[in-house]
Amino acid sequence: MKRMFKKIANCTAAAIAATVMVGTVYAGETIVMDGSTTVGPLAKAFAEFYMRQNPGVNITVAESGSGNGAKSIINKTCQVANMSRFMKDTEFKAAADAGVMPVAHVVALDGLPILVHPSNPVRNLTVAQVRQIFTGQITNWKQVGGPDLGIVCVSRDTNSGTYECFNELVMNKEKISDRAEYVGSNGAIRQRVQSTPAAIGYAGLAFVDDTVKALTINGIAPTAANVRDGSYPIARPLFMFTDGYPKLGSHLQRLVTLCLTEEGNSLIKETGFIATTDY
Amino acid sequence: MPRSVPVLHTPPPNTGSTQYIQPVPCRLLRNIRRQNNWPRHTTADGTHKRTRIRMNTVTVSTSVKQSLMMSRRANRMQRLGQMLGQAFLFSITSLSAIAVLFIFVFITRDAIPFFMPDAGSFNWSNIRQFFTETAWYPSARPGQFGALSLFYGSAMVTLGAVLVAVPLGISAAVCLSDVLPFSLRQIVKPVIEILAAIPSVAYGFFALVVFAPLLQNSGGSVLAFGFWLVALPVMGIACMLAGETVGARFSETRRRAAALTATACLGGASLALLWLIGRELSGMSISSGANAFNVSIILGIMALPTVVSVSEDALQAVGRELREGSYALGATRAETIIKTVMPAAISGILAAVILGVMRAIGETMVVWMASGNAAQIPSPFYNFMEPVRTLTATIAGDMGEADHVTGSSRYHVLFALALALLAFSFIMNLVSEAIVRRSRKKLGK
Amino acid sequence: MNLHTRKLLDRSFTAAGFFAIVMMACALILILYPIISRGLGAYIFRATCEHRRVQFEEFQAGSRQEIEREAAEIAAVRQPVFDMIAAHEKDLKAELQEAFDQVRALAAAEGGFLQRSLERRLKRAHADASLEECLAVLSDIRESLKGQYDHERFIGVIGVITERKQRVEQAAGKLSDMKHALRDLLGPLPGDRRPELLRSHYGQTRWDRSLHYLDKFLYRYDWDYTNAENTGVKTRTPRADEFRGTDLEPAFGYVRDNIEAMMQPRLTFYWRFLTTDSRDAHFFGGIWPEVLGTFYLTIGAMLFAIPMGVIAAIYLCEYARPTKTVSLLRSCMSTLAGVPSIVFGLFGLAFFLNTVGVSDSKSVLAGSLTLALMILPTVIRASEEAILAVPFTYKEAALGLGAGRWRTVLTVILPAALPGILTGIVISMGRAAGETAPIIFTAAVSVGLAISPLQALDSPTPALPWNIYNLCTEHEAVDEIRHVQFGMVFTLVALVLALNIIAIALRARISRKLRG
Repeated sequence: MKRMFKKIANCTAAAIAATVMVGTVYAGETIVMDGSTTVGPLAKAFAEFYMRQNPGVNITVAESGSGNGAKSIINKTCQVANMSRFMKDTEFKAAADAGVMPVAHVVALDGLPILVHPSNPVRNLTVAQVRQIFTGQITNWKQVGGPDLGIVCVSRDTNSGTYECFNELVMNKEKISDRAEYVGSNGAIRQRVQSTPAAIGYAGLAFVDDTVKALTINGIAPTAANVRDGSYPIARPLFMFTDGYPKLGSHLQRLVTLCLTEEGNSLIKETGFIATTDY
Repeated sequence: MPRSVPVLHTPPPNTGSTQYIQPVPCRLLRNIRRQNNWPRHTTADGTHKRTRIRMNTVTVSTSVKQSLMMSRRANRMQRLGQMLGQAFLFSITSLSAIAVLFIFVFITRDAIPFFMPDAGSFNWSNIRQFFTETAWYPSARPGQFGALSLFYGSAMVTLGAVLVAVPLGISAAVCLSDVLPFSLRQIVKPVIEILAAIPSVAYGFFALVVFAPLLQNSGGSVLAFGFWLVALPVMGIACMLAGETVGARFSETRRRAAALTATACLGGASLALLWLIGRELSGMSISSGANAFNVSIILGIMALPTVVSVSEDALQAVGRELREGSYALGATRAETIIKTVMPAAISGILAAVILGVMRAIGETMVVWMASGNAAQIPSPFYNFMEPVRTLTATIAGDMGEADHVTGSSRYHVLFALALALLAFSFIMNLVSEAIVRRSRKKLGK
Repeated sequence: MNLHTRKLLDRSFTAAGFFAIVMMACALILILYPIISRGLGAYIFRATCEHRRVQFEEFQAGSRQEIEREAAEIAAVRQPVFDMIAAHEKDLKAELQEAFDQVRALAAAEGGFLQRSLERRLKRAHADASLEECLAVLSDIRESLKGQYDHERFIGVIGVITERKQRVEQAAGKLSDMKHALRDLLGPLPGDRRPELLRSHYGQTRWDRSLHYLDKFLYRYDWDYTNAENTGVKTRTPRADEFRGTDLEPAFGYVRDNIEAMMQPRLTFYWRFLTTDSRDAHFFGGIWPEVLGTFYLTIGAMLFAIPMGVIAAIYLCEYARPTKTVSLLRSCMSTLAGVPSIVFGLFGLAFFLNTVGVSDSKSVLAGSLTLALMILPTVIRASEEAILAVPFTYKEAALGLGAGRWRTVLTVILPAALPGILTGIVISMGRAAGETAPIIFTAAVSVGLAISPLQALDSPTPALPWNIYNLCTEHEAVDEIRHVQFGMVFTLVALVLALNIIAIALRARISRKLRG
């Protein structure tokens, strides 16, 4: 039995020593980013790019929802809150009470394409039609010029900034029908839509690929140009919030203003978002 | 009536009760001696050796006598030390109880503002809405928090899981405790343990990535296959039984032939019926693979190990005497188990079911990933092919947006849901404890 | 009931039992089979030359000469395709030439401001300019001509420009589609601007994905909506048809025939998947930060849970008298065991992070504490069982030799119960490693570096269970990194199963010993 003890002790000691050795390689500034899953791909790309340029900085990105991002920055548990909507008044008030001064950095623009299965012959809907579909007034694709198929509405979870934007821009405060499915992320929306011929959903531009079809809305396609000039009706800016304007030249400041550099610009384009500046 | 009496292949497991006298390994005794300042004496060659004690001799060296006689003060010190030690142990032990208390306090503290926004007075309309309405719009302004559909979703998937886990689990437990020989049992047990060990997120991943697309693309065939798998043996046995019953009405000589004919006729008819139903099922298409059915199956598999191991323990605990008595009276194994062992072990089996229910209702990842998360009561209400949303998935999913700092009712409602879950598991736990206690009393242990 | 029926019932009863056990085994196999077979695919797969390039350039693995030799070989095989594309582009540019000539002539004839402005624009469409640039210049020129107050004079030139541009633009659109598909397969083409995202620096690293993209390169998938009553039908047309009669037509056959030489697939055991961190949101690289995070969380949870659990078990078995308090304690513990895991997560957030404030942000420490609380009942129960299983004779002997109660526990009972306690601990380690819900709010993030034990006190970490959830639902390219997801699930399941197999082996040893 003693031998067993010894063995275990040895193994544990070796394991701890090994992890210490591995671990001490990375020690430096840690920046915690928290928030929206929509901004997630961009934040992850920024973080990786920045860590590559500045070894010794550890940036963690949590994708837990815009509201969680706001909560974290108010609780001072993160330095950057990624949000796909602007902060609410209540959140601002809470921030002020907690001695936090949220500063918004617009990092990119994003359109909310309405996605359907590629087999769906419908090409165009109006905003009103989309609203009626999601409120349950239109229940069959036949009613909007498609095949005779019951519509399956797929919505983002109510905890997402994407949901709130959709609610604001499309639903006009009407309620989404309780038959709508809720999924936790943009990727899941695409997955549901690409596997369900009767589905309709909405997601960030970055998540559109050739397995789903993005509809034109009021005849306008969700392209970068149309979003930037404001003609595509369902579009929004994406934010990174910091507590106060970060010190000039600090890692934090360079990270949140990465979108203004040329590299940041192409990162934004390549992840599928729309840059605010153009080079 | 000549018949073979089945014999229990294995003795009940050795639980180390006092009736078996175990030899004490010397090594352990040596441990005591080493640390107990056992008196030493010097041998002729100058080395120290520990004094041997002979239990049958009265001659004990003086040093031993001294060490055995304690001074009063030392005695008091020791008792004080013992008390302190015990107090320390008790406080550590009670930490887990305190944890439960804290969990209750913290969850309740954050849940209360939902039920009474102004201190001291209940907001009845909120409460009524919470329990009786199905409109779940937490981010609308003002939010609507009708949690009935969430309760319903949780109940639905739990019921589905129970339907899967309980029949399978109890038959497996019976098989394990009474049918399988010891060697086979040693092979089957690890299967159960591995099923229990697979992390819930792996189950969820399987449900989302493998099972849901399968259901969606060829849901009809899957359903038909499952139906055949269950219905075919049941029908077969039913037909054979019915054939036997019919055959019993004929005279001895023609009995066998009549039974066979009746079985064949019934079997043919039921096969045709099965084929029809199977064809109907395989023609079905499922619009969404992420639905209550998917989650129920997976949760059922997850709850299986709990049900099997707890009910097997209960069956084992019944003991050999009852079984042997029953066999001696000429009962078959099935009759023994159903009429004698099961009634004796019923409370343990109930406890197993309750534990299975708790496992299913508290599961988060699987339902969050694969239940479709639609806050609705399916129509018709027993339609398992519709997506549902459960309490746990709602907590996990909505917590991200619930603005904690502003203390909105959106945040507090999630704690209200958690409180409901907690209360349910607490009550279930009390019930299962009461059942187990009763069974212990009944079995006289 | 006659004897025959009873026998039949008995048999079917036995059969039902066997059926249940077989079903259980089948369920286990059905669940584990895809996880293991596809999960192993993350470690052992046919890796293309692009994989080796990623490994060399990002992780400094492999020899330089080998990579360079391979790169040269591949470049030689790929070059004909690029040449064909260049030739086709040249053809298209030549078609635009007439329009440019006319503009040049016009500029020469007009003179003055218009000449200068046209020539400035024409300069941008020099011989090396890309097709897109030439087209852009043409439309620029057309706009500027249309903008003149007397643009009726240029109607002829404008007409030529428009006609040529339309013809070429259509072809150019097809070409850019084709180049896009080729880029997905082989990585950036020569002359492309260097992209910033790492995933677009390389072609397909896995042979199965390469074949998928080869198909997308060779065929164009479209949807036929001619029957408006019904859903569209997927159509598949060879891309070569679109380029019939051009220089590009043979390219498709060439790529199809030489794809192996272009990608050089080789069966690879990619053990670095376990030991390297990920690049570009898990497109490349491994899962080390996640594995390490899981490791920290598990060890951390055990550090809290083992002492508490074992001490509680000792107290309950050896010291506690059956009083009201103790039975209350026991029912508290079983309540704790029944609390849903998500509630633990909420409690961890509300208590450890928001009330006590063990760290500023989510952290391994907070996650470990939450997990420890969750597995505490399991540890207590397992230790209790192990202690109770120690034969009473041991204790009697020890007490008989004059050992005190505490000494008996320390020197006789604990060592004898140790294998049993270890079994319980190892099983609950498995549970702690695989649990997701409690760490969502307390410890887990989706991207981060591997952290050191000291950082574990105050930084969050990626962890296998959470990242599995994250990658299979929230990632922007779920299908592209399916193998990573399966690899992660496989690693987690393997980890947990290994722990359980250790436990099973330990228990087998005990039962052998107890039976003598």
